[in-house]
Amino acid sequence: MKNKLLLAATSMVLMACMSKEEILHEQYRVEGLALYQKNCENCHQANGKGFKKLYPALVNTNLIKRLSDEQLSKIIKYGVKADAGHEFMPGNNDLQAIEIAEIITYLKDLNGVKEGIVEQRLVKEVIR
Amino acid sequence: MACENKRILPYLGPKEVKTIQGKTDTIFHQIPSFAFLNQDSVLINEKTYEGKIYVADFFFTSCPTICPKMKTQMLRIYQRYEDNPSILLLSHSIDPTYDQPHVLKNYANRMEVSSKKWNFVTGKKEDIYRLGQKSYMVTAQKDEKEAGGFVHSGAFILIDTKRHVRGIYDGTKEEEVNKLIEDIELLLHEK
Repeated sequence: MKNKLLLAATSMVLMACMSKEEILHEQYRVEGLALYQKNCENCHQANGKGFKKLYPALVNTNLIKRLSDEQLSKIIKYGVKADAGHEFMPGNNDLQAIEIAEIITYLKDLNGVKEGIVEQRLVKEVIR
Repeated sequence: MACENKRILPYLGPKEVKTIQGKTDTIFHQIPSFAFLNQDSVLINEKTYEGKIYVADFFFTSCPTICPKMKTQMLRIYQRYEDNPSILLLSHSIDPTYDQPHVLKNYANRMEVSSKKWNFVTGKKEDIYRLGQKSYMVTAQKDEKEAGGFVHSGAFILIDTKRHVRGIYDGTKEEEVNKLIEDIELLLHEK
């Protein structure tokens, strides 16, 4: 309880000196983290570190450079088929555009993109 | 130290008490004979595990829920006993129609593990489910309502050199697998 109060107080102080954009990024990152833990972490492991060659790492790779936000959105929503290079990944059909936007914001944050958010409008264009 | 009471692992499962010529004898539950194909398409049976301590589990390669956790934990056991030929691992697919040997091979390769230590096996669905439920005493069956289409427990089952079940652990939890490793050490020193 004490810890929670402290955390709340600290984040309020932090929020006070953050710009609107920074606060939005932080909101998306925190929501994205929770969604990641629920939907992705089983396989891709905590902090996207991956598991052997079975479940690819999502950090320290060229993932963010290689794939656009739109491509990542589609992969998260619909999954990928297995081929020579990789195992299949199941889709996450229940995830909404806003949730996918938050997950990608979190993933990009893990990869050093510490500002901005992925707009859900953009995600909506590629999934239905 | 000599007087220290060593913990002895229980014998799990139904026991049978037999009296033969006035002598009573307890027959412990035992894993029966089996025969499955592994990731190298080699027939694996109870003889493969003769005189070995092994850890068994039930999984399927396309499982999006607890299997990845189980596999990260099983890999800990693999790495710890990589150089100890007395310990083996045995993962049964509960989706054997899809998990053909080549699929299992791919899976094992991606985990960079060897079939000398860790067999991933497939076979007749009924055989695997029956063995899971009756012998290893864990849940394993098809269920369309579950994510991935199968319901199964995340159990790791510890089997001794005589095919008796000596422990059942939650293979999705690190602390439980620590306990399993402690118990393997006990078994290794059991006479």
